[in-house]
Amino acid sequence: MTDRKNARLLALAGMIIFISTIAVLLARQFNIGPERPSPAFRTFGPVTAPVQIYEYTDFACPACRHAAAKIDEMIRIYGPGLRVSFKHYPLMNIHPWSMHAAAYADCAGEQGKFKEYGELLFEGQEKWAQAKEQPGEFEEYAVKLKLDWQKIQACANSPETLKTLKLDMSEGDMKGVNATPTFFINGKRAVGSGQLVDQARKFDNLLRAAKP
Amino acid sequence: MNKKPEKKDILGLLARLALGGVFIYAGLMKALSPAEEFGYAIESYKVINAQLSLWSAYLAPWIELYAGLLLAAGVFTRFNTLFTGAMLVFFEIMLAQAWFRGLAITSCGCFGSGKGNSISLEFTQNLVFLALAWAAHKYGSAYSADKAVAKP
Repeated sequence: MTDRKNARLLALAGMIIFISTIAVLLARQFNIGPERPSPAFRTFGPVTAPVQIYEYTDFACPACRHAAAKIDEMIRIYGPGLRVSFKHYPLMNIHPWSMHAAAYADCAGEQGKFKEYGELLFEGQEKWAQAKEQPGEFEEYAVKLKLDWQKIQACANSPETLKTLKLDMSEGDMKGVNATPTFFINGKRAVGSGQLVDQARKFDNLLRAAKP
Repeated sequence: MNKKPEKKDILGLLARLALGGVFIYAGLMKALSPAEEFGYAIESYKVINAQLSLWSAYLAPWIELYAGLLLAAGVFTRFNTLFTGAMLVFFEIMLAQAWFRGLAITSCGCFGSGKGNSISLEFTQNLVFLALAWAAHKYGSAYSADKAVAKP
């Protein structure tokens, strides 16, 4: 009798464990769960915006450069209806300097110039992305924007910066991001600027309602 | 005729559900966040190295989630309450050593990435959870899967 009871309980425990594991793994894939906020300098638009976009980006990826222009255009058109948060997802296996670029951009952000530094990185992408040695462009852009390069270097080498980048990347991995740019528009996934525009159209009524 | 539920059975059930709920929530919040985040929190207790902290961060949320679900359902209730109680004692030891060593713990890692309470508050909160584990161990076998499968 006890053996039968234990067998039943074991079967029940196994079922609970199996179902809950599948549920959690699905929840990860469908982006259900807490969203880690990006640092303030990487976030644009009001907190209350009805459409929230998270973009996983890599400064060395050409498709991300095109998407950045698209995002800028959307921010211009929809204004307060939109909030965009950038997350780093450097594809280091194909872009040897993208991790460095992400770190320098964040450190430029600490000095209030994330967007401007990011724009220069995208503009000069072809010059530095496949460089054999440490590209001089990183310093050049910092000087152009009148940023403190020594400070940026110290910040880029700090464990805190590395930690922030790693957390973005592991969050992306967990959500099944494997290409850049990947967007989550109010939780809905879109890969590339074409899908971004398609998905954003679905929220057109919300975006228009929030227009000033 | 159905027996009228006794007060202690209700207390046991409530304690089981409350403690199970706490473990489910804690496990879920961590399982749905990057393991590195919880890994950094474990690292800040300065007991194990970064690599082991990360492995613990991969494993612990699932254990908490399963323990919470089995406890709430009342599967192997007596063993489960002892197991969750032992986990809580372990958490108390971790918190206490951090407290005594004056470590700067910005997030205890108890419920995922959210900024945690002070160590002393977390310590007191865990004492309440331990009391729930005791009540669930003593009176929690009523209205459980253990009881349901025992019926002929």
